[in-house]
Amino acid sequence: MQVQVRLFATYREIVGAGQLAWTLRDGTTVGQLVEAVLAKYPRLVGHGNRMLLAVNHEVVRSESVLREGDEVALLPPVSGGAR
Amino acid sequence: MIQIQRSRIDVEAVVNSVRRDDAGAIVVFLGSVRSDPEVRALDYEVYRPMALRTLTELVERAKEKFGALEMSIVHRVGRVPVGGDSVVLACAAAHRSEAFAACAWAMDEVKRIVPIWKTEAGPRRPRAKPDGNPRGRPAAHRKVP
Repeated sequence: MQVQVRLFATYREIVGAGQLAWTLRDGTTVGQLVEAVLAKYPRLVGHGNRMLLAVNHEVVRSESVLREGDEVALLPPVSGGAR
Repeated sequence: MIQIQRSRIDVEAVVNSVRRDDAGAIVVFLGSVRSDPEVRALDYEVYRPMALRTLTELVERAKEKFGALEMSIVHRVGRVPVGGDSVVLACAAAHRSEAFAACAWAMDEVKRIVPIWKTEAGPRRPRAKPDGNPRGRPAAHRKVP
């Protein structure tokens, strides 16, 4: 199956693209997809523990199982600001 | 009113969007780009569908949690110069205490959970190409009309 991976801000700059098509085995979880992305783009590894994950615009846990056509977003911490 | 836009925010339109006869208080928050020696502007990037969804949900939560009657949030994306408003939040409630509380809570949530990222655009400095011709900085630092 194929999913779309969306990347933003720092992650987009590291990967050099804002969107990637990714082919996966059925039953792959979001966490397994992230591991595969980090393996291909090792410069993302240091950011992995602060990464927020969303599927089809909703925040999910890494155990969530992906489906054909899902849009998976790897979100850096929102920049916000203290004030 | 929930909007994400590139153009300047019409503050009065945002305020008017929350007016209603049973609201005795309207609190408005403007988030502006603060001057800093190394900052000429901020560039905002958004994951639009998720940001719109998150903003809509947090407005509903503000109404439930604080009894706010209406709330509008408009956020800019793209380049916002120093002094420009990057976000405007207006909240109407029966009384000012609820309006202040809901506005403060909602703005904290915008900064905490809405997928919008900012990067600083520094002062423009001409840079020499190998042939000696001056050239502006790349896109992130280029002057935008």
